[in-house]
Amino acid sequence: MTVATDVVPGVALPPYRLRASTVRLFRFSAVTWNAHRIHYDAAYARSEGYPDVLVQSHLHGCVLLNAVLAWAGPDATLRAFGWRNRGIAVAGDELVVTGEVVAVRDAPGECVAKLRLEERDQRGELCAPGHATVAWPAGP
Amino acid sequence: MTDGDGITTGGDGVRTGGDGAIAAAARRLAAETGVTRRRDLGSLAARDLERFALASGSALPPDGQAPPLYLSSVMGWSPGPPEAELRPDGSGTDETRGLPLEGLRLMGAGQDLEFHRPVRAGDHVVEHTTLTDVRHKAGRSGDLLVLRVRRVFADGSDRPLVTCDETFIAR
Repeated sequence: MTVATDVVPGVALPPYRLRASTVRLFRFSAVTWNAHRIHYDAAYARSEGYPDVLVQSHLHGCVLLNAVLAWAGPDATLRAFGWRNRGIAVAGDELVVTGEVVAVRDAPGECVAKLRLEERDQRGELCAPGHATVAWPAGP
Repeated sequence: MTDGDGITTGGDGVRTGGDGAIAAAARRLAAETGVTRRRDLGSLAARDLERFALASGSALPPDGQAPPLYLSSVMGWSPGPPEAELRPDGSGTDETRGLPLEGLRLMGAGQDLEFHRPVRAGDHVVEHTTLTDVRHKAGRSGDLLVLRVRRVFADGSDRPLVTCDETFIAR
């Protein structure tokens, strides 16, 4: 579990991995009520020039954030988060998130860290850079 | 060259003419810029939050809290539209933030979010949506529009829960 005293600039997050299976993509589209065919109709995706159905923009965001929340632990509060979709991923790809603490600020009663994140596919191609701001209660 | 949104552009990256459908959409969208629409999203169901966490591989937060990206990831909040009203690519206007994008394809390109208060199952949520910016660019594979949409999700007392600035590419 991460606590405020562990958080210093340069600390790396443990790599986080998630496989974007066809079933996962279908279920994510279903629960977000996203009928865009590019995420479940492989023939349609190929007609737009893609090798298979695409991982949703928002699922890339979720994968990046999963890495942050798994590392930050239950005492942390997420203040801000963001990502950019730079490269596609398709069904079957394994997404790998890495990240590091780039700045730490001590505020009254809390410690606030800024993180820089990257999500890449199993070939090392960049899918989505991201950032997060996380706060922990300051130690006693 | 590549701008801050990672869109490869030519020259100064901004055009005033270009492809007809893009230019027409840019004119329609210009009239929408700065207009804020309010929409009642209803109450959040615990099962929907749990399914979102499962599908996204996320740990379910404690105390009935919503996964942080739940509100900003849901594309459609209404029961519809019926299949016959979907565009050829399967999208409906509800799923493209209500924007007048007839004839164009829309791709999400990223979000920037601020989290103001915890969101929980049972909360009544209201969404305030504003198209904040439209830019017409020349991309690698033709003209495109880069849209910025701000959504403020608020509770039943209009206290802000989450602010989301989202970038879309329309081509």
